[in-house]
Amino acid sequence: MSIMEYNGGSVIAMVGKDCVAIASDLRLGNQALGISSNFQKIFPVTDRIYVGLPGLATDVTTLRERFRYRVNMYTIKEEREIEPETFAHLVSSTLYEHRFGPYFIEPVMAGLSKTPSGGLKPFIAATDLIGCLNFAKDFVVAGTASSKLYGVAEGLWEPGLEPEDLFETISQTILNAVDRDAYSGWGCIVHVITKDKVVSRTLKGRMD
Amino acid sequence: MPDMVPMSVAQPQERQFNPYSDNGGTILAVAGANFSVIAGDTRQSEGYSIQTRYAPKVFRLTDKAVLAVNGFAADGNMFVKKVKQRLEWYRHAHSKDMPLRAVARLIQSMLYARRFFPYYVYNILGGIEEDGSGAVYSFDPVGSYEREACRAAGAASSLVQPFLDNQIYFKNQTPAPGTSHPAHLALTDVLALVIDSFTSATERHIEVGDGLEMYVVLAKGSPLQGLELVQGVQEMSTTTDGERVFIVRRNLKRD
Amino acid sequence: MNTFADRFSTTGALAELRKAQKAADEEEFSDAMWGSEAGFGSLAKGVPTFSVPNIPDPTAFLRLHTDDHADPTCKIKISHGTTTLAFRFQGGVIVAVDSRATAGSYVASGTVKKVIEINPYLLGTMAGGAADCQYWETYLGMHCRLHELRNRERISVSAASKYLSNLVYSYKGMGLSMGTMICGWDKTGPAVFYVDSDGTRLKGDLFSVGSGSTFAYGVLDQGYRWDLTDEEAQELGRRSIYAAGHRDAFSGNTCNLYHVKEDGWKFIGNYDISKMHYDGPGNVLGATGGGYGYELRVEGLSSANPPVAAQA
Repeated sequence: MSIMEYNGGSVIAMVGKDCVAIASDLRLGNQALGISSNFQKIFPVTDRIYVGLPGLATDVTTLRERFRYRVNMYTIKEEREIEPETFAHLVSSTLYEHRFGPYFIEPVMAGLSKTPSGGLKPFIAATDLIGCLNFAKDFVVAGTASSKLYGVAEGLWEPGLEPEDLFETISQTILNAVDRDAYSGWGCIVHVITKDKVVSRTLKGRMD
Repeated sequence: MPDMVPMSVAQPQERQFNPYSDNGGTILAVAGANFSVIAGDTRQSEGYSIQTRYAPKVFRLTDKAVLAVNGFAADGNMFVKKVKQRLEWYRHAHSKDMPLRAVARLIQSMLYARRFFPYYVYNILGGIEEDGSGAVYSFDPVGSYEREACRAAGAASSLVQPFLDNQIYFKNQTPAPGTSHPAHLALTDVLALVIDSFTSATERHIEVGDGLEMYVVLAKGSPLQGLELVQGVQEMSTTTDGERVFIVRRNLKRD
Repeated sequence: MNTFADRFSTTGALAELRKAQKAADEEEFSDAMWGSEAGFGSLAKGVPTFSVPNIPDPTAFLRLHTDDHADPTCKIKISHGTTTLAFRFQGGVIVAVDSRATAGSYVASGTVKKVIEINPYLLGTMAGGAADCQYWETYLGMHCRLHELRNRERISVSAASKYLSNLVYSYKGMGLSMGTMICGWDKTGPAVFYVDSDGTRLKGDLFSVGSGSTFAYGVLDQGYRWDLTDEEAQELGRRSIYAAGHRDAFSGNTCNLYHVKEDGWKFIGNYDISKMHYDGPGNVLGATGGGYGYELRVEGLSSANPPVAAQA
């Protein structure tokens, strides 16, 4: 049995037109046994950055606090909010510090980064459990349903989706992917990040 | 060789006996109201190497039955050969083609006869039932089977199947108030979804690619349903007054 | 030592297999295969024959290539994970199953028929190897029909289940995997027998088999009485499978419900487990109305689930 399958769970992030979306399932399991249908795996980092932490549940809690601490220290030292690119490298180096005894988490990040001209640019990234960064231009996935998420996302996603269309695309992707995964599901949550607001919606998913 | 010790008793010696290999690829079948589409890519690989870019995985059995095989190519090819032989014997004995549901049961018993030395093959049988409806039967390697409306198997099945759940069964989609989802999709829509499925799978799975072969089986007396407008379509049937079989080929990315 | 003994013994399962293989090698295709008897493939000679790899220990070979507990990366996956139940009560037998098949974490199918209709009076359930259950219960159906023709009388559930139990016992240790309930109605009334591939055969009032069986038993034991009405019994079957489908990752999708009465079995319905969670099984006999979901019962009633107005 893979350690990623001990608690189960999946996360996906997608790029849209001047917006990004990140979604996860809500299941927490103990192998085959479902324990909770309200286990959050996605956490806000700043107003415009969210991070999803699928994998071993104990490490979800630990890493979340660790990232919160490191981001706070960064904010105090630099006297400004962290940028998504910087945060991605912070995630990467935090994980690589534990190269030979890693956290069993494959983080997924989504945010809007400032451009030199003062605009905002969509940003997504994912890493493996030891911090190898993957900056994709379309979508990134992680967790027990990753292969299923890749298949559906590759079929549904297109460039330049408006926030509402992006919401529909990412929702359909995660709902249908987790229905084919025994260890993910039990409801989903979706966050769509635009320049002036973040819209979070909880989806009714299959409960089996 | 002076130091060699002679074996005292000659007796059978067992080494690791591994007659199986995985040759990758993906197959897919969808049943419509009065047609059925059976598709497969043509790449054959072993590990990271491509053995050939054109090895068919989909085979016409009769004018109303098409079989797709995926898994270990040597077992697959031998299995198809044996099924074809049994169908020919049936034709000699009964002067007609075996009905689809009977082909499905035949395949079950042929697979289960190897319960203790299985064919490492996932089979999907598509075609037209005696009542003229499109049908898909999917099998596991030792012969458990079920009639379904759509099924993907092979290396990229976990990528393709949830996409099909969404686009063919309309899973997780709520129809607008006062409307309902169509019970059956049109042939041209199904072909478009099959092509999309394989281009997606090619993009994200290394064992899928090179070429795509789609067989279309039409019920007896069915119109062409837009098939005449599909470029490069070829007829494979022996007669035009019964069920008809067509093949459509497409290129997939070769990287 | 066992493998050593097996290799040289002239009796026992392995030797039988080798004999079967020798017979098959000598005449791979019988004349019957050409004609109308060709239907049941390996049965052309009347008894099933099986190909076996020509190696000293064919069972170890099969285990190496098919057992996904020992080696999750092995190539041939035999599906596991199921919830099935059957119970006897005043009004007959209720048989309820889920419909999910998994290969590792992948949900290979959500529409599996885990109730095998052996004949109009007998049902068998499927847990373990899907092909083993399908094939041998179909085969059992043939022999039940032969029994009817020979004895001008329907086979008893007891006899049918014993036939299956003896059959799988003859293959013991060779890797068959079945956990099944043979349910029906005969001269003695409603009957349920549990038969598995180890050779166990048990008569009983109430059984549940599969990875979700503990969850099903929880609901079943709590609600079971002999004098349940038909409607109550059907609802109990549905509710038990729902509980297993909800909690067990390897069970779910839909519930198939059957009711066996004196005049044979009747298919009651197919119920979506997720729909039962949110809305209940629909307008059916025995349903109390409303979804089975836990959230629906606590909403607005506890501090963890505050009333909607309080959240705003």
